[in-house]
Amino acid sequence: MMKRNKTEKDERIAFAPGMKEIDIDAAEIMQQSTAPPDEYAFDRDNDILIDVHNVSMKYRMPTEKIDNLKEYCIKLVKGQLRYKTFEALKDVNLQVRRGESLALIGRNGAGKSTLLRIIAGIIEPTDGYVRTRGNMVPLLKLGAGFEINATGKENVFLNGAMLGFSHKEMQKKYDSIVEFAELGDFMNVPIKNYSSGMLSRLGFAIAVDVNPDVLLIDEILGVGDAIFQKKCAQKIDELRAGGTTFIVVSHSMAQINKLCQKAVYLKDGTIVDSGTTLEITRKYNADCDAIARAQITPKQGNESK
Amino acid sequence: MQTNKLRKYILISGQTEMSNKRQPKIKFKANALQLKKSMVVLGSMVKKNIKNQYRRSVLGIIWTVLNPLLNMLVMWFVFDKIFGRTSSGLFYPVFILSGTIVFNLMRGATTSSLPCMVTNYDLLTKTRVPYAVFPISQNLSALVNFGFSLIALLVLMLCCIPQGVEFHWTMFMILIPWLPSIMLFSMGISFALCSIYVRFRDIKHLYDVFLTLWMYVTPIFYSLESLKLGNTINTIMHLNPMLYYVNYVRQLLMGVVPDAITHAICYGVGILVFIVGFVIFRLSRKKFILYI
Repeated sequence: MMKRNKTEKDERIAFAPGMKEIDIDAAEIMQQSTAPPDEYAFDRDNDILIDVHNVSMKYRMPTEKIDNLKEYCIKLVKGQLRYKTFEALKDVNLQVRRGESLALIGRNGAGKSTLLRIIAGIIEPTDGYVRTRGNMVPLLKLGAGFEINATGKENVFLNGAMLGFSHKEMQKKYDSIVEFAELGDFMNVPIKNYSSGMLSRLGFAIAVDVNPDVLLIDEILGVGDAIFQKKCAQKIDELRAGGTTFIVVSHSMAQINKLCQKAVYLKDGTIVDSGTTLEITRKYNADCDAIARAQITPKQGNESK
Repeated sequence: MQTNKLRKYILISGQTEMSNKRQPKIKFKANALQLKKSMVVLGSMVKKNIKNQYRRSVLGIIWTVLNPLLNMLVMWFVFDKIFGRTSSGLFYPVFILSGTIVFNLMRGATTSSLPCMVTNYDLLTKTRVPYAVFPISQNLSALVNFGFSLIALLVLMLCCIPQGVEFHWTMFMILIPWLPSIMLFSMGISFALCSIYVRFRDIKHLYDVFLTLWMYVTPIFYSLESLKLGNTINTIMHLNPMLYYVNYVRQLLMGVVPDAITHAICYGVGILVFIVGFVIFRLSRKKFILYI
């Protein structure tokens, strides 16, 4: 994985004068690599919406949680400030083209959500970079940024602003959002009085109604009752027909098989395999079965639903 | 190892080539879009803040004008009638109110900015909003409140015309040379405080105590001249930047344009504090998400 993407640069290096000894090394790497991602492809090709290049994410975690000054000073003086580094992602390369729908699969802690957050631009990777095109709507938590005291109507505009839409632009979308969320009379009620289902419906309605180029979804598709879920599925199909690109994190293989054409299998922060959804989910299921069997807990059985 | 060395070399050489041509264009476009987004968010957050202050109150937005007036009445009663202090130059209620609203602008902006990174946790981790939006929106909300307080000041001055209060054209200078300088000052403090608060929650309690001290050493309900302080304590009192901001406004209300030194101090301190605060904010920005 680490060596895959160097070749493009290596070629350039090879022409530089006085670089002979490295040149040999580069040739060696080139032989090993299979499919070198092209660093400049993103600039050339307008259809590539997301380019994740050599992304690594390291967290430096203190062994104990210290959040007050006194403790910090004591530990500092005593020399007991210890950190352990935790590598959530290691040299991940990924390119997503317009209209593609990609699933990120992996066990808990494999780095799926971290990768999604990096793509969304919420956290910056410690190494490498991500370039994106188009309007991206991260749907990592329904109703993130809702103001609990404000009414549903006010929240529609507030949330729209978070997604980059002015009051005027949201005004046009408002009616269809209310209709989709089935909230009608409740729009003038403060959302602290909403049920959790109503909240997620509103959040989902806003997110899908802004017609994003890229939609990042983190395990939030199971909201509402059966009828609303059907509506969601229909809406997502509509979006996909309209050319929206999806990146989905989910543990539900059925959902992924229905929604995505391609899948990436993440394990301990690296991409283990990528390909068509069917292939990858099968592989993932087989891996999970093997792990479950090895742990001698037969009653738990298959880990993936 | 060798591959590692090679990688480093490639990274450096690759970067120079990239940044020459292609990168800046994309970046600029993205930044422009980001800026537009931030502006929209900023606007709606300020609106939300103002609305939230007086939500479910009968008088609503009128409180923003009424509040400083009522506070002034309390202070006037306590310090004029009970303690019997008098101000120099200005009619006492006007003197108190002008000091209070200036100090409250700074206090309101900084105290609400202090926990803003933590209270907006959801937005920080789940949506793509530039971090600086949060403290800036709190500062702008304080600025809007200050606007309402100015109305209160005008109302008071109109009511006190029989008592000999005069209007001077210099009052307009509150808006243009003075206001930006104190906004820089309070924004710098806000940036620094909210970044420290993410890491050390103690700062809230420390700052509360510090604010109380700060309020008493700032001549809000007394004037420094009337106190007849010793030399040392007088010098210490003059180290307080708020003193200059408050005196500046009072001079304007009296129809005097402050001298160049006052201007220099107000802007010098404002710009310096802003830069320091912003640097602290930028440096700790990446770690916010890890510590919240």
